[in-house]
Amino acid sequence: MDRRKHAGLARVKEAFLYDWQFRAGVAGVVILLALVVAAPLLASHDPYEFGVDNLAPPGTAGHLLGTNHMGQDAYSMILYGIRTSLQVALISSLISGVLGVLIGGAAGYFGGKTDLVISELINAFLMVPTFFLIMLIVALFGNSITNVMIVIGITNWPGNAKLMRAQALSLRERTFVRGAVAMGETRLQILFKYILPNGIFPVVANTTRGMAGAILTEASLSFLGLGDPNIISWGQMIYAGKNYITTGWWVSAFAGAATILTVIIFYLLGDGLNHVLNPKYAFESRGK
Amino acid sequence: MKRYVIRRIFSAILTVFIVLTLNFIIIKAAPGDPIKSLMGKDTNDPALRAALEEKWGLNEPAYVQYGSYLINALRGDLGTSIIYNSSVNSMIGAKAGPTVLLGLTAALAALVVGTALGIFCAQHEGGIIDGLLSAISYALDAMPSFWLGLMLMIVFATHLGLFPTSGMTDPRSSYTGFAHILDILRHMALPALTLALVSVPGYFRIAKSSVVQVSNEEFITTFRAVGMSEKKIFSKYVFRNAILPTITTFGITMAFLITGVTLIEIVFAWPGMGRLTMTAINQRDYPTLMGIYLVVAIGVSVVMIVVDVVYALFDPRIRYE
Repeated sequence: MDRRKHAGLARVKEAFLYDWQFRAGVAGVVILLALVVAAPLLASHDPYEFGVDNLAPPGTAGHLLGTNHMGQDAYSMILYGIRTSLQVALISSLISGVLGVLIGGAAGYFGGKTDLVISELINAFLMVPTFFLIMLIVALFGNSITNVMIVIGITNWPGNAKLMRAQALSLRERTFVRGAVAMGETRLQILFKYILPNGIFPVVANTTRGMAGAILTEASLSFLGLGDPNIISWGQMIYAGKNYITTGWWVSAFAGAATILTVIIFYLLGDGLNHVLNPKYAFESRGK
Repeated sequence: MKRYVIRRIFSAILTVFIVLTLNFIIIKAAPGDPIKSLMGKDTNDPALRAALEEKWGLNEPAYVQYGSYLINALRGDLGTSIIYNSSVNSMIGAKAGPTVLLGLTAALAALVVGTALGIFCAQHEGGIIDGLLSAISYALDAMPSFWLGLMLMIVFATHLGLFPTSGMTDPRSSYTGFAHILDILRHMALPALTLALVSVPGYFRIAKSSVVQVSNEEFITTFRAVGMSEKKIFSKYVFRNAILPTITTFGITMAFLITGVTLIEIVFAWPGMGRLTMTAINQRDYPTLMGIYLVVAIGVSVVMIVVDVVYALFDPRIRYE
């Protein structure tokens, strides 16, 4: 066990040295977290404060990225918006990850009729246009950020479940699992002790990409006017800027750029993790 | 083949049933009272409430409502809008055309351009153009479609004045015939471009990776070894094998596309189902919302089934499995 841990660490180290996507993704997330913590120090204004300059262009009166129609400082709003995006990304993908792992793991491991029913459900849910469902629920149940996060989480499990099911199906036949069966461990014990921990890696990588998706979904909801009005989010900045697009392009433009950068960071991290967690992937250092 | 098609159709029916049920549960469980919004804030007459509940069937027990909802939906009747008092079918019917027009145009453009660029980059893997296009595709994938729409609007409509910013036709002039089509095309240019741009990366990636994969297959190396011309290898073996996954991608991106169309329609004030959805949400127009969700879900499943069947026709490996 100890040796395996060291091998894992060595692989992460190797990935960090030779896989630029992993490196960039990790660095990006570290920077984002640092910005969340340091936001009060770095912000030039209180992002909630309505200033006197409405729609001031970037650079005027100490507003680095200009102001919106209410005189709020765009730069400070973007800094504080990181928190919202990361929160949405983390919580919703945790929910979808846990749901996916449990449902998919159970389907793959138990097999038979359970698997048949769950697989059909997964396929059906994969076909349903998720965004319309999210939109419907948020519109009807209220648009607090908590609701938004939960709804994104509970609608995005099928992809994870599909991956986990495939993992469980193949793990079930492995010698160490059959050994555990022979030792008389119960099915639930085996599921939680051997199947889930060993099969979870593809889900982790997929969930990281799911974080990017969650950020985009939150932004889209905000753009439809379904965001939480009590918090600062990039989607709402784009939405608010839409009506002033001809006179104040900067309100939407910079918030969108921040969204893109953050989403790219999570894409890179997801691709990097995919390389780290896939034992068949050879980093470029080898073979050359 | 027959078994495969039957299986797929069964999945589609199941999906539609799940969507219907979800729809019903969500709307029943949701807070908010449609009768209250019909009566107005200050009226609280129990007789009026009872009459309205009677009229809309809201006084029946939930399972009866579910039953009649299912029967009506299966008959193709989506009910009556509580706000506009007109049939949901006709409201959606009037808006579906523009949405399908915009969505299909963008999807086909993305399919052709994305696949072509993907094949090109696979043949020139590692080159400057490949690197550049891969980076652009990564960025486009990360872009909120509505934001891209706004930015294109600033550049091409506001600053350059090349295209109109909103609508489907010019309301000041009533063109007919060819001029009318041209007018619609001019209005469609920016929304379709936005949608196509955000859809291209999917086709680009899948085309590129499948061409690269097929090119590394041993039978291709064998053809090369026996001296078959590169042109023939490509057109006869690589292209055919590589184009197949594109068909599946078209089906898979359907749900993504319809979401994109909804958002883009709102940016460019395109008179389609996106805007209908928006108004229905704001007015808590339950039957309209349910109808839209249902139509979209059925539309997407039907397209996906057709795509899967078409795929099976082209690729014998699927249907003999």
